[in-house]
Amino acid sequence: MVSLLVHAVEQGFAYGIAALGVFLTYRILRFPDLTVDGSFVTGAAVASLLLIRTGIDPFSVLLIAFAAGCGAGLITGFLNTRLGITNLLAGVLTMIMLYSINLRIMGRPNLSLLRATTFVRLVSSNLPSMKGVVVVLLIGVLVLLVKLGLDAFLKTEIGFALRATGDCEEMITAHGVNTKTMKLLGLALSNGLVAVSGALVAQYSGFADVGMGIGTIVTGLAAVIIGGTLIRSARIGWMTTSVLVGSLIYRIAVSLALRYGYVIGFQASDLKLITSLLVVIALIVPYLRERRAQGVLSC
Amino acid sequence: MKLRNLVILVALLVAATSVIAAGVPLKIGICKIVEHPALDAVEQGTIDALSAAGYERDVDVEYILSSAQNDFATAIAIAQNFQAQDVDLVVAIATPTAQAAVEVFRDTETPVIYAAVTDPVGAELVPHATDPRENGNVTGVSDMIPVAAHLLLLQDLSPNITRVGMVYNPGEANSVILTDMAIAASADLGIEIVTASADTTANVPLAAQSLIGRVDAFYATTDNTVVSAIDAVLAASQEAGIPFLMADPTSIEHATLTAGFDYYEHGLTVGGLVAEVLGGKAPNEIPVTYQPNAEVQLNLDLAGAIGLDFPARVIKAATAVYYGGGLWGR
Repeated sequence: MVSLLVHAVEQGFAYGIAALGVFLTYRILRFPDLTVDGSFVTGAAVASLLLIRTGIDPFSVLLIAFAAGCGAGLITGFLNTRLGITNLLAGVLTMIMLYSINLRIMGRPNLSLLRATTFVRLVSSNLPSMKGVVVVLLIGVLVLLVKLGLDAFLKTEIGFALRATGDCEEMITAHGVNTKTMKLLGLALSNGLVAVSGALVAQYSGFADVGMGIGTIVTGLAAVIIGGTLIRSARIGWMTTSVLVGSLIYRIAVSLALRYGYVIGFQASDLKLITSLLVVIALIVPYLRERRAQGVLSC
Repeated sequence: MKLRNLVILVALLVAATSVIAAGVPLKIGICKIVEHPALDAVEQGTIDALSAAGYERDVDVEYILSSAQNDFATAIAIAQNFQAQDVDLVVAIATPTAQAAVEVFRDTETPVIYAAVTDPVGAELVPHATDPRENGNVTGVSDMIPVAAHLLLLQDLSPNITRVGMVYNPGEANSVILTDMAIAASADLGIEIVTASADTTANVPLAAQSLIGRVDAFYATTDNTVVSAIDAVLAASQEAGIPFLMADPTSIEHATLTAGFDYYEHGLTVGGLVAEVLGGKAPNEIPVTYQPNAEVQLNLDLAGAIGLDFPARVIKAATAVYYGGGLWGR
C-alpha cells in the first residue's frame, strides 16, 4: 500500500508539471491548447536523443527539453496570432505537425532508455539502497521549484499582464499591453513545462514512445478541474497547489483501480471506467458537503 | 493456566500460518499494452501452457491480468503494482509494457518474460540476441517475422507480382522494423515495396485505397493498427482484384492467404518458457527465443472471388485451406 502510494505520488508529480502547463493556458490564459499531446512527446524525444547520443547529464536535458517545448508553443502562437487561426484549431494543427516532427527527432517510434544514464540510473548507481526515497524526493523538489517559479512569475508585472490577457483582453489592450505577445509567451511557457514533464516521464519510464503523449490534455485538464473543485481559491499559490493535488488524486485513483479493481469483480479492461468512477467520488464529497451545509440535501 | 492457553494459541497460529503458507500459490503478473485479439491470444496461450505443465490456475498459480489500454503511464503503474504485490514472475506482452516491466524490475530477482516483441535487442530489453549471460532477470520470445520468405511466397503466386503494397503505422516500432526489413529484402528479390502510412485505424481505409492501381499485391505484417482495420485492406485488395498476404494466420478469413504463426501458439511457447524458469532455469541462461514460423494458409473463397488460382508450389507449402466457410487442415 505504501509503495503503491509512493509510486502514485511520483507519477502524480511528474505529470503534475504538465498539468501546470495546461493550467497556464486553460485557466490563466483562457486558451484551450491541444498542442500538449505533441509537445509532451517532443520533450521526451529531445531528452532521450540527447541522453543516448551525448553525455549530457539528465538534469540539463530537462532545460533543453523546455526550450524545445517553448518552440512548439510558439508555432501554435504564430498560427493563432499572426495567421488568425482560431485557438483550438491552431493547437490541433501543431499537435498533428509535431507527430511527424517527433518521429523525425527520434528516428524511430520508440527509443529505449534502459541502457542510458537517466536520473533514476544515477540514483540507483550512487545510492542503491535508498533509491525509492531519493527518486521521489528529487521529483518532489523539482516540482516544488517549478511551482514556486511559476507562482513568482505570475506575480511579476509581465505575469499580471498575462493573467489580464486571459481575463479581459480588451481591458488590458487599452492599458497598452500587446496581447499577441502575451499569448506567445503563455503558449511558449506552457508547452515548455509540458515538454519538461515529458522528458522527466521518459527517464522515469525508461523509454520514449511517439504515442506516449496521447491523452495529455485530458489528464492535464482532469488534474486542473479536480484540483480546482477541491481547493477553491483565487490566489495563485493555492491554484497551482490545487493543480498538483488534482494530478496526485488522478494517479492515486488509477493505482487504486489497478490494485483493488478485481475485488469488486472488475476485469482488466474496466480500468478506465473504475478510474473515472473514483474521480467522480472524489469530486462528489465536497459537493455533498456544500449542499448539506446549505440545508438543500433532502434524501 | 493463562500461559498455557497463550502457548496453545501461538502454536495453533503458527500451524495455521504454515499450512496457509505451504498452500500459497505462485503469483504471476501478465500485462499487455492493449486489448487485441493477438495479444489476448498470447495471454491465453501462456495460461493454457502453464496449466498443461502442471501449474493449475488458482491452485498452484494465481494470475494478475492487466491491460494498459494503450496508456503508457498506466503501463508503468501496472509494473509498479506487480512489484507492490510481490509477484514471483512477470509476463509482459508487447514492447512498451516489456520496457516498463524491465525498468521497474531492474536490479531485482523477479524474472521478466517478454512476449510478442519483434526486436528485443533493439528495444534494449536484453543486450544480445544469442548470448544471454548479461540478460539479468530478463528473457522471452520474439515474434519476429521472416518477411523475405513471405515476399518469396508472393512471388511464387505469380511472376507478375513486382510491386507489393504495404499499409503500416509509422508510429509502431514493431511495424517500422518489419517494413524496413521488407524494403531491404525486396531489392534482392526484384520487388518494389510501395508503402502507405496510417497512424490510426481510421486512416487505414484511405491508405489502402491509395495503393489501388499502383501495386500487384498487398502485404501486411503484425501491425496492430492494420490488424484492427484489416477488412479495409481486404476490401481494397478485392476491389483491385489482387491477392492480399497477411502475416497472421488467425486472420485467414480476412485475407487471400496468410503466413506466419498463430499468436495462441506464441502464447504456448511463452508459457513453456515460463514453466522452464519456474522450474529453476535462470533467465540469463536462455537466449532470445524466436517463434517458429511454419504455417501457410490459403483462403480459396476469397481467391475464387478475384479469379486467383493458387499454383502447385503454393498449395504444396500450405498447411491449411479455408474453403466454404471452414478451415481444413492437412
